[in-house]
Amino acid sequence: MNEAQEITRILFQGFQTSSIYLFYAFGYSAIAVFLYGCYVQVRKYRRGQPDSAWGEFLARFGDMVKTMLTHRTIKRRDKAAGKAHAAIFFGFVLLFLGTATITLEYDITEPLFGFKFWYGDFYLWFSLVLDIAGTAVIAGVLYMMYRRKWLKLPKLDYKRPDREPTDPDYDRSEYRREDWAFLWGFIIILITGFLLEASRLIWLMNDPTVWDYRWWSPVGALIANVLHGLGIGPEAAGHFRTGLWWFHGFIALTFVALIPFTKVKHIFTASASLMFRDPMAGRRLPMVPEDQEEIGVKTITDLTWKNLLNLDACTKCGRCHEACPANAVGAPLSPRDVILSLREFANNTLQKKELPDEAELDVHGKDIGQVFMETLWSCRTCLACVEICPVAVEHVPIIVQMRRKLVDEGNMEPILQKTLQSVHKNGNSMGESKRKRAKWTKDLPFTIKDARKEPVDVMWFVGDYASFDPRNQVVTKSFAKLMRQAGVDFGLLYEAEMNAGNDIRRVGEEGLYEFLATSNISTLEKCDFQSIVTTDPHSFNTIRNEYPDFGGEFEINHYTTVIKQLLEQGKLKLNKQLDLTVTFHDPCHLGRYNKGYDAPRDIIKMLGCDLVEMARNRDNSFCCGAGGGRIWIPDPVGIQKPSENRIHEAGEIEDLDVFIVSCPKDLTMFEDARKTAGYEGKFEVKELIELITECVEFDDESVDEDADAA
Amino acid sequence: MKILVAVKEVASLDDDFEIRDDHLDVDEDFLLYDLNEWDDYSLEEAMNIKEASDSDVEVVVVSVGPDRVEESLRKCLAKGADRAIRVWSDEMEGSDSITIGRVLAAVAEQEKPDMIFAGVQSSDDANASTGISLSSYLNWPHAAVVAGLEYTPGSNKAVVTRELEGGMAQEVEISCPAVLTIQLGINTPRYASLRGIKQAAAKPIEEISLSDLGLSAEDVGAYASFARVRRMYIPEKGMATMIDGTPAEQAAKLAEIIKEYRGEL
Repeated sequence: MNEAQEITRILFQGFQTSSIYLFYAFGYSAIAVFLYGCYVQVRKYRRGQPDSAWGEFLARFGDMVKTMLTHRTIKRRDKAAGKAHAAIFFGFVLLFLGTATITLEYDITEPLFGFKFWYGDFYLWFSLVLDIAGTAVIAGVLYMMYRRKWLKLPKLDYKRPDREPTDPDYDRSEYRREDWAFLWGFIIILITGFLLEASRLIWLMNDPTVWDYRWWSPVGALIANVLHGLGIGPEAAGHFRTGLWWFHGFIALTFVALIPFTKVKHIFTASASLMFRDPMAGRRLPMVPEDQEEIGVKTITDLTWKNLLNLDACTKCGRCHEACPANAVGAPLSPRDVILSLREFANNTLQKKELPDEAELDVHGKDIGQVFMETLWSCRTCLACVEICPVAVEHVPIIVQMRRKLVDEGNMEPILQKTLQSVHKNGNSMGESKRKRAKWTKDLPFTIKDARKEPVDVMWFVGDYASFDPRNQVVTKSFAKLMRQAGVDFGLLYEAEMNAGNDIRRVGEEGLYEFLATSNISTLEKCDFQSIVTTDPHSFNTIRNEYPDFGGEFEINHYTTVIKQLLEQGKLKLNKQLDLTVTFHDPCHLGRYNKGYDAPRDIIKMLGCDLVEMARNRDNSFCCGAGGGRIWIPDPVGIQKPSENRIHEAGEIEDLDVFIVSCPKDLTMFEDARKTAGYEGKFEVKELIELITECVEFDDESVDEDADAA
Repeated sequence: MKILVAVKEVASLDDDFEIRDDHLDVDEDFLLYDLNEWDDYSLEEAMNIKEASDSDVEVVVVSVGPDRVEESLRKCLAKGADRAIRVWSDEMEGSDSITIGRVLAAVAEQEKPDMIFAGVQSSDDANASTGISLSSYLNWPHAAVVAGLEYTPGSNKAVVTRELEGGMAQEVEISCPAVLTIQLGINTPRYASLRGIKQAAAKPIEEISLSDLGLSAEDVGAYASFARVRRMYIPEKGMATMIDGTPAEQAAKLAEIIKEYRGEL
């Protein structure tokens, strides 16, 4: 047996002192370039506006570490890529720790304290672990290469839906080249590392402290055996090793130096982005500070530092591109491209030593790197992009902030202007008189309490579509009957209710939103009630998540939660089971926005229906196209509407009887889509409330009959 | 260089409105006020000239009306007007459009604008005469129903395109200063965001009364008006009926109606 101390790798073995100096000079320059790059990036972020994301630092840090260790977000909807990334990530982390360990001994503990630890058993295990790590990285990178070259994934196609093929920034080929350079760079570093290991083994094959322990570096030993078998002796291997050593060192250090300047920086920016993730992103849009004169994002420096960091975190994985309903139907929007456009814009302007003139910082327009107005108006704020982004890029708040500027400057469809004016004037988006809001109650065989005049247990916030739209009124009346049957003490705001403002805010008309929210809050505060219920997921979201910012703290439930409780408590009894094949469409504002996935499904099961899920369900539900104010902007003719895309998906379900929705806007959108897409007579579109009403036992016969007639 | 834009806050009817007990107007409860639609376009035209001009152009909006009119003036300020003037004295109540023209002329004499824009008409009273009467009191040239305008601030001539019946257009050269009544569709009015309107709340609105204009109570109000409302009502409608059925049934029904009118039934 050899002395444990002897079993190690002698660094710079056989090097002249001048060579070692040369290597250190090169290493320090690489680090200097790296640090300068970091400085430039940080200076770029610091040119953004302040953001309050620094709060709860420890909790955020913990979340980030958890997300990174589990790779949870990267595995979603692409398991193979997630695993390959994990192989690269963990392999890389181990290789980094390995190098750091050697540096710790060679440059710190040994010269300063004469303390050595990198030898013997520790060294052998170290060698084994690092060999495995290197193999993992190679395997991961090989899969990534295969995926890029042969899988032809649409999400990895960088062609832009918002540009023409003749535009210079149409196909983004420089990104493709960068991707490949990254993959090749990585794999060459790893392969040369293994070859280096092998050539060292052959070079030192007469030294038993090396050769006898070679299988602790299994990959290196295997290559060494093969090379030796091919006739390479110690001397040739020694020469080979010297050349390879410099080559490997050179590209590895170049790689380090380039981190801040290339996509590799995502190892820092994506981690930071995950750490500063706002769980309320998009659900609660940012308020405009009282003293702030300008509104929205006009220039790149109007973005916050966190937004700018988000831009750099994007790894172009294309999950948002794939999930976006606007992109799916060929609208000129891909959330990925918005982020990449802004990133390129930020890099071109904010990485400069001196900040360019304000005129050069305008992100709106038709030039390269600028974001088209049509692109911003295509967004339905469905949150599919934010929800799936593995690195916590928050697209929707950025898009809405940019829209705020468009609204402020009046850059919108004239028909949308009219709607906004009408909402201001009448308090509703339907162009109806305020007096008509509760007209639907007149058809009921009973009177609903006026919550402005007497205390109630439950305040029912009806919402515009449920109040005014004839098809939805049927549902609204049914819900009133269900509440009455269950003995719930409930009331309405009658004429005093106004549009809750959710979609107005997502359009970007923040002033009007403030007006609506504060009006509703002051009306609600004057009333005596315990909690609010609504059938409208849009009102639900803004009252639940956004009114608190304006001082309105209310408990609010979507009807699905309330009805589920009433059924479970036996306050509503079912006297019928439905033998129907159904599917359920998760409304964005109930599902993705507020995680209300289960209550509607539980009710559907209680009704005895056979629930067949569409491929895109729950968090991947496909927006009906009405969100973000798009319900007020006509979709272009000739291209598919998101609602039609969705209804075709449902059409693939065999023997489907009912397409169930639980949102008034969905009812309107999908009733239309069912007709235009040719599914009339094949299946029906119904509100869940309608199915519940069919099955519930009503005490009052007249109410029951009326419900049937409805 | 100054452009004066005369605007009006108009009333629109709520659904199911009721007429006042004196039958002279709609019950105030059922009226919704807003800036006259035509005035959105005339203000926009002034703003376009201001924004396209190298020299300074001041856009001043003026309206004759009570306190509530301030809301509409704020909307104009939010859209970028430099100043807003509200003219009112209680004596002005009941003024007809010609009398309003007289008041506006008095304002114009003080402001000395280089150009005056007004809407073709107001959507509630639809007299289409305020702008014209204003030009007449000022003894300025006027062009009505302007659907296109070429004008460089400071020049003494403008070329206007007037909209005529039957899709015809008439190009007119007019000496300035002049009064133009602007037609819908001449431009795309900008949107006044609510935030803009709120911020405009900080801008002052100048208030001018009768005496400031050197007018007396006899010059304005119902007393000075040449026209006065006698009655406001909803005319009966629905005298035509569609007769369904086979030709024989239709003939029988028709005969029945004729007999009924002749009093034979």
